[in-house]
Amino acid sequence: MSPVVDAVQAALGDAVLAVVPGFGPVTVDVDPASWAAAVAAAAGAGATYADYLTAYDELELGFALVLHVTTPDASDHVLLRTRVPRDRPQVESVVGIHRGLAWHERATHEMFGIGFVGNDDLSPLRTQPSLGAHPLRKDFVLAARVARPWPGEKDPAGDNGRARRRVLPPGVPEGWGDQA
Amino acid sequence: MTEPAVPARSRGVISLVEENCTVCMLCARECPDWCIHIEGHTETLPADEEHRRPRTENVLDRFAIDFSLCLYCGICIEVCPFDALHWSPEHEYAGATLAELTHERDRLAGWEATAPTTAQRDA
Amino acid sequence: MSDGGVLLGLPGLGRPGPAAPLRLAIALGDGAGTRTVALHVAGAGLACCSVELVAAALRRPEARAAGVLEAATDDPAVDVLVVSGTCTDVLAPALRALHASLPAGTPVLSFGACASSGGPYWDSYSVTKGVDQVVPVDVYVPGCPPRPEALVDGLRRLPGIAR
Repeated sequence: MSPVVDAVQAALGDAVLAVVPGFGPVTVDVDPASWAAAVAAAAGAGATYADYLTAYDELELGFALVLHVTTPDASDHVLLRTRVPRDRPQVESVVGIHRGLAWHERATHEMFGIGFVGNDDLSPLRTQPSLGAHPLRKDFVLAARVARPWPGEKDPAGDNGRARRRVLPPGVPEGWGDQA
Repeated sequence: MTEPAVPARSRGVISLVEENCTVCMLCARECPDWCIHIEGHTETLPADEEHRRPRTENVLDRFAIDFSLCLYCGICIEVCPFDALHWSPEHEYAGATLAELTHERDRLAGWEATAPTTAQRDA
Repeated sequence: MSDGGVLLGLPGLGRPGPAAPLRLAIALGDGAGTRTVALHVAGAGLACCSVELVAAALRRPEARAAGVLEAATDDPAVDVLVVSGTCTDVLAPALRALHASLPAGTPVLSFGACASSGGPYWDSYSVTKGVDQVVPVDVYVPGCPPRPEALVDGLRRLPGIAR
């Protein structure tokens, strides 16, 4: 195993939910309440380089938050992961441990709506403030795909006089926008 | 000062062989950019000596590719079951307007002369 | 096919300022009638196409060594603004300001699919669907990314550059 993983397990005890090997770094799943503690333990064991922080949408399970930290000589690294519930997506910010993650948290908040308590600047980075939604959530529909007529919808056979079920292009859910 | 030769397999522009196209719409549906515009209609051909029953045939009305959107992925060419679309290494078709970057069927057919043959591609 | 190529001169790279021009000399005509037109190209390098623009400009060091071109000067005159890469809605005001900072009437060349129409990101929540939404475009060069031949073809179509 890796010293970093051992340190996280030693510090968190039961708050480590799983240790998952993979092709790359080992993934350590932790309880969201212990997120900052896990990051601190990893940093204390030498994983002081924070590579990236991001998230992905797990639908009804919530949002998975993932942080890749490594030792500066790349001898050891770990993926720290936690899962926050959809109705209350927030963790403690880790900018106190890794200053460089400030914009990572900002971007993750922008894309998923996850709150980082203690990070005082979570303003939008890449989108207009008027967007009013978190684009990387799976329920975010690209409206352009709904609005623009899909060339693949046409059929040379035409309607043949019957009402045809409209074929939707990829990325457009049934009935989206019909309420307008 | 001569130009270095552009490889024959370069993805420059897409050509259309109209007689191969059956208006199956697969390329238009699979294009990730939605930049292929196809219109067609069906015609009924009567029974004759070769065909004992009348049959319907797809007729191509419009085939256009909007190269201002095209990302040159080649999915349309790969998916065509009838080998109606080919890569051509021509690169020089910039335009003063976006409309000039949409090539209709005649222009697409014109690129076919510049498309390499299978033998040339495999050379 | 093309009747000439992009001959190259490089100004001092690393010059400060939003529009440090590349000096590109393009050959017009063919045979005995070939003449060279030098263009100062200001690049708004927004994404991957800007790498291709530089690659196109840098592809013939032997032309420089042969002394075909004058050494680039500090002449700040700009003949064309080449916008290469994806423009996002957040960046669009900066692009408009860059264009406004150039002499009035500077032609604009949109290089690549993203700059021309949004390209593969036409459906994105944050991409401007073509830089012609913010600056007037004179020539659109298709490609993802366009080859150097396509760039030269586009430069030749600029208003004022007689073929």
